[in-house]
Amino acid sequence: MKNADTLRFMPIFRADEEPRVRELLEALERPVELLVAHGPEETPLPGARDVDFGAETERIVEELAALSDRVTYRVETEPEGFERYPAIAVRPDGVDVGIRYYGLPWGYELGSLILGVVEAGKRDSTLRPESVERLSALEQDLSIDVFVTPT
Amino acid sequence: MLLAYKVALASPRIRAAGIEATEFPALADAMDVWAVPRIVVNGVPQWDGAVPERVFLDRILAPAFE
Repeated sequence: MKNADTLRFMPIFRADEEPRVRELLEALERPVELLVAHGPEETPLPGARDVDFGAETERIVEELAALSDRVTYRVETEPEGFERYPAIAVRPDGVDVGIRYYGLPWGYELGSLILGVVEAGKRDSTLRPESVERLSALEQDLSIDVFVTPT
Repeated sequence: MLLAYKVALASPRIRAAGIEATEFPALADAMDVWAVPRIVVNGVPQWDGAVPERVFLDRILAPAFE
């Protein structure tokens, strides 16, 4: 059986994880939309060759959205504002605030993405007030890329 | 990654991306990704590893005030 076939039947969340994710998402104070962007993908590393990254990303987002009424998702092909594919944009109130995840969110990174959705669902930042103040003084645009690996 | 998302949510001037390094090997190579998380600001690699919130802000705001 190919990796892709095995993955297709694997639940995204274990039975014990699902209630925890539901509980986390109950904290959302506003709707969060996840936009899945499909497009040409880079040639992945050997061994991962038969995983359909785009399809798996969509399946993860679909399952995540199923756990909360406040989380919705939609799928587009090569929408504007994306640099590579597959990608996910986290959009509070359906608005693009510049938050992206590029690639398939596996393992620990799925956890980070979920916490990102929870933060996006809050009306007030959970950063310290002094941090918010420092950020409000920012006078130029910053683009932050965080490279991660699925561990 | 979460801190990057938090600062992007808190400031309209900041955008933040998590990038799965093994899926985009050409880009990861170009950014000399050896250890993760590797943080790159405005296309320039800055540091590796998780840091506390205050340090994260010190570092991302430093190039802005040069």
